[in-house]
Order: sequence, then C-alpha cells, then structure tokens
Amino acid sequence: MNRRRFTAGTILLCLLSAFAVLVARATPQTEGVTDIDPHKAFGSKNAPVTMEVFSDFQCPACKTLFTSTNRQLMDNYVSTGKVYLIHRDFPLPMHAYSRIAARYARAAAQIGKFEPVEQVLFQNQEKWEQTGDVDGTVASVLPAAEIAKVRALVKGGTLDAGIDKDSALGQLYRVSQTPTTVFHSKGQTYPFAGVMTYDMLKQFLDQLLSQK
Amino acid sequence: MMQSSPLNARRAIIWIGRLVLGGIFVYAGFSKLLLPNTHLWPMFMLKFSVSMNIASFAQQVESYKIISPEASQLVAHALPFLEIVLGLLLLIGWRLRIWATAITLIMAGFLAAVTRAYVLHMDINCGCFGVPEKLTGMTVVRDSAFTALALLMTIFAFREAREPHPWSAPEKA
Repeated sequence: MNRRRFTAGTILLCLLSAFAVLVARATPQTEGVTDIDPHKAFGSKNAPVTMEVFSDFQCPACKTLFTSTNRQLMDNYVSTGKVYLIHRDFPLPMHAYSRIAARYARAAAQIGKFEPVEQVLFQNQEKWEQTGDVDGTVASVLPAAEIAKVRALVKGGTLDAGIDKDSALGQLYRVSQTPTTVFHSKGQTYPFAGVMTYDMLKQFLDQLLSQK
Repeated sequence: MMQSSPLNARRAIIWIGRLVLGGIFVYAGFSKLLLPNTHLWPMFMLKFSVSMNIASFAQQVESYKIISPEASQLVAHALPFLEIVLGLLLLIGWRLRIWATAITLIMAGFLAAVTRAYVLHMDINCGCFGVPEKLTGMTVVRDSAFTALALLMTIFAFREAREPHPWSAPEKA
C-alpha cells in the first residue's frame, strides 16, 4: 500500500511539473500588430479585437475555416466595428500551388477584388490543386480588364515580398500549421492553431469583447 | 541454495510496459486536450483552447475515413480522457491485468487504423499526439513496437498472477 501511495505521489508531482511548464509556456505575448496590408484588412482599425488569420489557399482546414466562419464573422463582427480582420499569407512548402494562389489573391486585393477571389479559390480548391490552374479559377470571377491587371501584377514579381513578410510574422508568432488565428485584445496576443466552428468563435469573441 | 531475485525478465517487461505505455497514454491524452493551443487562463481561454484542440483531433480522426463524422466527434471527445485514465491506472498498477488488456486492445485498434492508412497511401496526420505529425512508415513501426510491448506486458501479467515468484507469493500455512 505504501508503494502504491509513493507511485501515485510521484505521478502527481510529474503532472504538476508538466502543468507548471505549460503555464510558463502559455504566457501571452504583448506585441502590437504591424505590417498591415490595407487591401487585405477589413473593418475598423479601432475595433477592440484584432484577428490575424494565417492561411494557405491549398490547405483543406483553411477552406473549412473560411466556409464555416467568414460570412457570419464579416456580417456580425467586422462590419459592426467589433473585429478588425487581417488576412495573412502563410503558404506551406508541401502545397505546390499555394504561393501562386497567394500571389493572385494579393494582386486581386490591390484592385479591390480580394473577397471574390478568396471565395472562388477556396470553393474550387479541389479542382485547381489537381491541375494547378489558379489563373483560370481567378479569371472565372473577374471581368477581362480586371484579370489582365491581376496578371500584370503577378508577372511583375513584386508580390512575393508581401507574402514573405506575412510568413516571417507568422514565424514570430510560432505559427507551425494553418489555419492559425491570432487574436489581439487589450494589449494581449493569443495565437490559436486549427479550425473552429462559428459557434465556438462567436462565444470566444463575445467573451473577449466583454472583458473589462 | 540461493533463491533467484524477484526481478526476472517477466517482471522487468511488466515494469517497462507499465512505465512506457502508462506514460505515453497519459501524455497522449493531455496533449490532445492541451496542444497545440495551450492558453490556460482565464477559464474561457482554457475552454476555447480545449475546444479547438478537440475539434482538430476530430478532424484527424475523420481523415482516416473509417467512422462517420458524428462518430469521429464522439471519439475525439472521449478518447483523450480515456487515455489519461488508462495511463494512470497502468502507472499505479491497480488491477493490472484488466487495464493492460484494455490498453493492448486499444493499441491493436490504433495499429490497424494506422497500417490501413499507410497501405492506402493516405496523406494524413497521425493524430497520435496533439501536434500535427505526418503518418509515415515510422508511425507504423512505432505503433507495432508499442502494441508488441502491450501484448507481452499483458501476457506476463496473467502469467505472474498464475505463477507468482516465490518471494512475492503469499506464504503457505
């Protein structure tokens, strides 16, 4: 019986130590949001909560996050001034066409067409990731004059700098997978990796917004 | 005549099995709940972290395409806690034969799922621990080793119960 108590006590001590390490590791950072591309940011800059979404257009989980939360988030939180939403590119090396897709989305953002291009890329992800036809996918939602401007911007080669800046920022936040959403509220920063449903996001945002 | 030490190969394997598998199961359970999102305070942060981690784990279970999405949700919510409890019971060593058998069956199930995914060349994450980990041949090898250890531990635990060592057996009147 004494041996069992000793074993149980040792296990409890190990668990408490692991918990202490996790608490120390989980201390939120207090950095501000920098390098915001105004073409890929939505809502009021003075909103009490800022959300940076690190995403890869070829990532299935990113598609799930977009399709399950984006519309309601924009309608209920971004357009009402509660959340300032920033899209960040974080193309993963194992996805052959994600950087190309990021370039097209960035180019579309510069002519004010980020939202329809983002939507068509995510909705048709399974098609263009097989064929690599990002250009055709984007062209399907833009008139001829606009797709010509987008193509010129992509060919210009200046868009990679912005993608690399977003990726570097992601490294600072220790982003290791997509999607990763970084919440900023009252000087605190909380990165969350993975997918969330709209209900989960709503509950969390409401709690963040109600914090004094 | 000298009596042999109670620390024979059979008991050593039982001890190694209990420590290794018990520790791994406890870690696996906690990591599924607390990794990769580990915001522990205030309470709503912890709740959101755990919800997101379980949601990620449910996606990983679903990606094996063995059970329905609803069943994947059930597994994702129950399995981490089951792993923690089983791991602790194995470490403490109470009713060893029962929990060793349970762990062997669970490991055999994991091995079957992982092997099937590997043979079908599925490009998925293992879902074994909280952090994303690609399913490769090494995953199959690792799970095979743990399953073999669990099986040996269970067999020896039953043998130990039937033929305990003279030093540990109760004295005959």
